[in-house]
Amino acid sequence: MKKFLQLYIYTTLIAIGLLALWVFITNFTELLNPIIFPSPEIVALAFIEAITELFQGFLSSMGLLIPAFALSLILGIGGGLYFGMNQRIREILSPFFQTFSPLPPTLFIPYAIALLPTFELASIFILFIATFWPIFLGTIEGVLLIDQHYWDNAKTLRLKGKDLILKMVLPASSPLILSGTGMSLGLSFIVLMMAEMFGANSGMGHFVQYYTDFTQYDFVLAGLIFNSIVILLIMVIYEKIKKRVLFWTNLKKTGSSI
Amino acid sequence: MTKVLERASQLDVKKNNVQNKIEAKSIFFDYDGLEILQDINLTIKEGEFIVLMGPSGSGKSTLLRLLTGLTQPKEGEIFVNHQSITQSLPDSSVVFQDYSLFPWLTAEENIMLALKQRLNKSKTKKELEQLAHNYLELVQLGHAFKKYPGEMSGGMRQRAAIARALSLGSDLMFMDEPFGALDPVTRIRLQDLVLRVNQDQQRTIVFVTHDAEEAIFLADRIVMFTPGPPGRIAEIIDVPFPKPRNRKKLIESLEFIQFRNYILGIMNKEIFEKLNQQNELLLNGNGI
Repeated sequence: MKKFLQLYIYTTLIAIGLLALWVFITNFTELLNPIIFPSPEIVALAFIEAITELFQGFLSSMGLLIPAFALSLILGIGGGLYFGMNQRIREILSPFFQTFSPLPPTLFIPYAIALLPTFELASIFILFIATFWPIFLGTIEGVLLIDQHYWDNAKTLRLKGKDLILKMVLPASSPLILSGTGMSLGLSFIVLMMAEMFGANSGMGHFVQYYTDFTQYDFVLAGLIFNSIVILLIMVIYEKIKKRVLFWTNLKKTGSSI
Repeated sequence: MTKVLERASQLDVKKNNVQNKIEAKSIFFDYDGLEILQDINLTIKEGEFIVLMGPSGSGKSTLLRLLTGLTQPKEGEIFVNHQSITQSLPDSSVVFQDYSLFPWLTAEENIMLALKQRLNKSKTKKELEQLAHNYLELVQLGHAFKKYPGEMSGGMRQRAAIARALSLGSDLMFMDEPFGALDPVTRIRLQDLVLRVNQDQQRTIVFVTHDAEEAIFLADRIVMFTPGPPGRIAEIIDVPFPKPRNRKKLIESLEFIQFRNYILGIMNKEIFEKLNQQNELLLNGNGI
């Protein structure tokens, strides 16, 4: 806690300053339209009032995000390792990867809606398309950039099959796999909020959209704040996991020499 | 009677002629059109400690790589245990300069991984762990089973790398400037360790260094390279000091100093020749 304060003392001060400014402008001046910019107390009341609804939205959003993301991780890492390690097949198919990976996932919405029976499946599909490519391409790149020394070592140990993949290829390429995963995660929130705007009846994005339609900006702001907190927490957890997985890139010498 | 004689002579052959461990026959190698190795012929006997020595760029590490089978020569053929290594890697272990271990595995996990491949999964995890501990204790790393390479000093890492090489069980060990990055004291300790491995366990060792004293102290024979590229074998020199060698006595002796000067003399001669050639080229260039 002490360390946290030391590190973020100015950040905290600025946050308090901004909050004070918000209180001041909305309560003591008439610079801002009070309907679009309600004062913090009103937003706080809305937040408390809507807390159950917000959490339900959170659960419903995670119900879309988690299956899509899990599928992306499995297929992205599995496929990435396969194509990374098989040069010929990668060469044959990589023009397709280059063609499809830059397409915005929203382009697939018409087909997702037309082909998949429910809104949930369509959203999961769109989220999958969005999150798959960075993980998949990150994994391929990770495998291609594995230091020759590691390959030499694996060869001299005669590593094969499962041991080669789990003990060498996967850990050696994990830095780039994880940076791809981080990109996917960031992208997934954008796409999630977008996906919830067509046809969802709950969710973090839907909440904001719903109250915008009724011009209840205190609830809109409460939703925005709630969403920011959720995203921030998920990113913090992701960074913790990343640091844990990549612990070996950041070790300090302990004990004596020799 | 003739049969007995035949048998006697066979025994004789066995006694006097130690088997050839490695035969490299007219090896050529180039990289992106640049010739690195030119016409290398080298025979290494079983149990021998061979040091490949030469300045950087002389191709000594490249030759070691070719001998390990990790890279194929452009021309020529290499035999280990009388078998060509073009098809499959020879039965050997390799210690690289500072990257033999996987940094995401602890010392014992690194060795267990090697053991698992060698023993073809016939042992339980517990047995593998016990074996790994034995090998680590052999190199005085009994206190560092659970340490990751990133937590170890350079000397500890190289010890662990040697333990792993030993655990692979091959009687042939390749070492590519393994002590290049170590401080002098650690270096001497590890040199002694490697000599013990060579002598006690009858393992053939091919060792690359550019340090003349290290070469003389370790080697039975020193293979001197010309400064490349392309690197050629300048001379193969028998080291005239019997083993085991007493480092202190050896280093203080006049013979050692003379021999070192002789080795350095060969190396410098080659280097000066190379420089002269380059100077001539430069002068010619200025003329135009």
